[in-house]
Amino acid sequence: MRSTRIIGGMFLAMAMFQACEKNETTQPQSTLVQKTIANIPADTIVGLVNGQPVGAGKYTFYSLESNSLVASSDSNSLKWDIGMRGTAIITNGGNSGPGAGGAFVYVGTFDELKTIPADSVFRKDNAPVSYAIPLGSNKGWYVYNPITTLITPVPGRVLVIKTASGKYAKVEILNYYKGGVTPDATASDADKLTKQRYYTFRYSYQGNGSTSFQ
Amino acid sequence: MRLLNTFLGLFLSTLVAAQQQADTLGSRTMDEVVVTATRTPRLMGNLAIPVNIISSKTLYQSGSLRLHDILAEQTGINIIENFGKGVQVQGLSSEYTLILIDGEPLIGRTGGVLDLSRISVRNIRKIEIVKGPSSSLYGSEAMGGVINIITDRAGQNKSDVSLRYARFNTLDGGFNFSRKMDKTDWLASFNYNRSSGYSLKPNAQQQTVEPFWRSVQQVSIGHQFNEKWKAGASLRRNLSQIDNTIVVQNQGASILSKGYERNEEYNFTPYLNYQASPQLKTVLRAYLTGFDARQELSVKNVVGNYDDRFRQSFHRLENQTDWQIRKQSAFTIGAGNILETVASNRYDSLSTKRSNNISYLFLQHEETISPKLMLVAGFRYDANKAYASVGSPKLALQYRYNDNLSFNLSYGRGFKAPDFRQLYLNFTNLAAGAYSVFGSEVAVGELSRLQSQGLIEQVSALASRLSALKPEISGGWNGGLKYKSGKNLLVTLNLFRNDLRNMILTDIIAIKKNGGQIYSYFNLKEALTQGLEFNADKQFKQLSIRVGYQFLHTADKEVTDAIRSGKIFARSLETGLANRMKLSEYGGLPNRSRHTANIKLGYETPKEQFLTLRAIYRSRWGTFDADGNGLINRDDEYASGYVQVNVSAGFPIGKRLKWMMGIDNLFNYKDIINLPGNPGRNGYMDLQFTF
Repeated sequence: MRSTRIIGGMFLAMAMFQACEKNETTQPQSTLVQKTIANIPADTIVGLVNGQPVGAGKYTFYSLESNSLVASSDSNSLKWDIGMRGTAIITNGGNSGPGAGGAFVYVGTFDELKTIPADSVFRKDNAPVSYAIPLGSNKGWYVYNPITTLITPVPGRVLVIKTASGKYAKVEILNYYKGGVTPDATASDADKLTKQRYYTFRYSYQGNGSTSFQ
Repeated sequence: MRLLNTFLGLFLSTLVAAQQQADTLGSRTMDEVVVTATRTPRLMGNLAIPVNIISSKTLYQSGSLRLHDILAEQTGINIIENFGKGVQVQGLSSEYTLILIDGEPLIGRTGGVLDLSRISVRNIRKIEIVKGPSSSLYGSEAMGGVINIITDRAGQNKSDVSLRYARFNTLDGGFNFSRKMDKTDWLASFNYNRSSGYSLKPNAQQQTVEPFWRSVQQVSIGHQFNEKWKAGASLRRNLSQIDNTIVVQNQGASILSKGYERNEEYNFTPYLNYQASPQLKTVLRAYLTGFDARQELSVKNVVGNYDDRFRQSFHRLENQTDWQIRKQSAFTIGAGNILETVASNRYDSLSTKRSNNISYLFLQHEETISPKLMLVAGFRYDANKAYASVGSPKLALQYRYNDNLSFNLSYGRGFKAPDFRQLYLNFTNLAAGAYSVFGSEVAVGELSRLQSQGLIEQVSALASRLSALKPEISGGWNGGLKYKSGKNLLVTLNLFRNDLRNMILTDIIAIKKNGGQIYSYFNLKEALTQGLEFNADKQFKQLSIRVGYQFLHTADKEVTDAIRSGKIFARSLETGLANRMKLSEYGGLPNRSRHTANIKLGYETPKEQFLTLRAIYRSRWGTFDADGNGLINRDDEYASGYVQVNVSAGFPIGKRLKWMMGIDNLFNYKDIINLPGNPGRNGYMDLQFTF
């Protein structure tokens, strides 16, 4: 058994080696960047209008490529890859931005997604009718629990992002509350409101243009 | 049930009287007469299905006032707080457990839950609990079990007055007046219960439990015309009112609004008995019951008061004939018709009365095949107007290995009819997301109406599956043993499994142009509950020890399959990262505790001085989803388990007066979030005068 595995492994290694050789010219070296970003405010609540909590209404833009926040004055540029406002996440493409961006929601774990499946279809934002990452509870990345009034990222949802410049990244939203800690179900409404709209997420960005995350 | 008298005849009544004097526990329990299991009086020791009995003495010595107080102390029964205090039997929730009062079903459920605190257990002779499906005798709702509350008998020439004072300004008082005059039995009873309620959260604008009062009045009469004919009637009225203070959020401001919630319930049961011969008897009985719930709130400076009204009625006419064919064979046949109506402004308007008509037939045959082997076979057919008809079989076997040891095995099917909400609800929430919920009977019409108005964005594939709802069905197995040693030890063990299918869930049938979702009801879910129940009762001279334990495992079958095929994810509490969920992480259905146990010690002198100490344990139970997969799987998704200890003591003063006092929840266990109905330590004093 053990020997078969070794032999099998050798075959695989050879096959991969050959594949690598073949693609050497077209497939550059992997330049994978993996980061965890904590506590990014995304249009945090500033007050109540007609009893409904509201923020300033502005997206928080983020560049996965340069791993940094992007000023909202640069919204019409290729500098950002994703934008967050409340639970809505937009990509730099479609009618959201001038870039080549798009996205889809992959069902599986972050680590399992090693290569974007070849038959994947990247969706484009068509605000306000539809978004690449669908809005709403249990449709995209999060679920809203009407009993606890808490928002929780659905486990097993990975946002596969095409960046403004056409590169690929995978994003897992880990938490939606300040400090990366979801308030207790029993916390006060005020607590739940003031602490929400803070993103903690991890992502892998492949800078070589390939669909591989290895 | 006063008709029992006739059923039993003179012979059995003397037998019962003799048993009540027997003081040992084993014999007392095994020789107790049970009516709920077969709808005929049978000795507990001869039953092939699991039955528990709570005697009036246990009720009194436990200091119980309301039905949930005493049921919470029973093995295998949990009280779940959701729309009041509902019962959970064999892991099945309140909507699947039938509650009877003198053999007749109580109505008036909210969200499927029958609030047990509605029912006073003062003036109760005993409570019989039958576990497992009994729809073969009782029809709808008898899936997890049947709980039959048997009120005091008329014609006892015994009366009493009682008064109790407890914490939170709780006052409970009443009388029970029972007389036999010549050939007529009388009974009049009254109970009044009030409390100022309590607040678990200090400085909250509304109390956890608001002040309330409740009252039960009952009159029963029975007349024995001659040896063959007896007629009677019973009228019971149950009233309750609770203050309602709610903080309403309006335009960002919180407004305190005041109101009340009032429930009124009546039950009327006339009957006519005919004993054709010692072997053949028949009874014609009617049951008329109504439930009227009203909630009113007046909100300051807001136009339009909140007014919620729910009126339900249930009228039934039934005939049951019992025929003792031979010494070893007994046959029961019954048939009846039920007319149920509901009018509520939750559905449409109060003037629209929804109704359902059910005709049913049931048969039961009991056969003693050999001195060791006994068989009971039953079948019931319910033909309905508003939903699919259903047949419910049951088969039970008892094998007596010897005088001490017997084995039981039974299989039954239970069902629950779709309720009026699932059939007729027509609700649109304009505030929260503009979603709508339509009952299955109105969904097609409402959907096409909205479509013709051009308000529908998208119709889901499920909409084409909209059809008449089928009853929810369970198949239940129960198997176990009873062991009796001498007169002082009784051990029972029961293994159970309930497979539920056609369980009704809501799902999206369409999405409106404004984004609002439209839901309706479908027979979608399959679930299972299984486990083990163990009880041991041991009597030493003046000391009794009772131990009970239940192990429970529950699961949504679709979820189990999805976990097995790797489609379910969970987020680790430690790392915060998502991974594929393992079956061992799945906590089953919410509100289920894997382990429940109780120990009850009783000490009683021949002079009727008594002392009880009862400890009830419940292990953690799933409450809500915290990691976004909608399931119970993580440690932070459980309410913590606990032990509650209750004590009581009492003694007679002279011949007519009985005094008792007790403390419930001695160690003051509280869980503000998960057990709002538990106020903490609660002491009481109680006086009863018999004349």
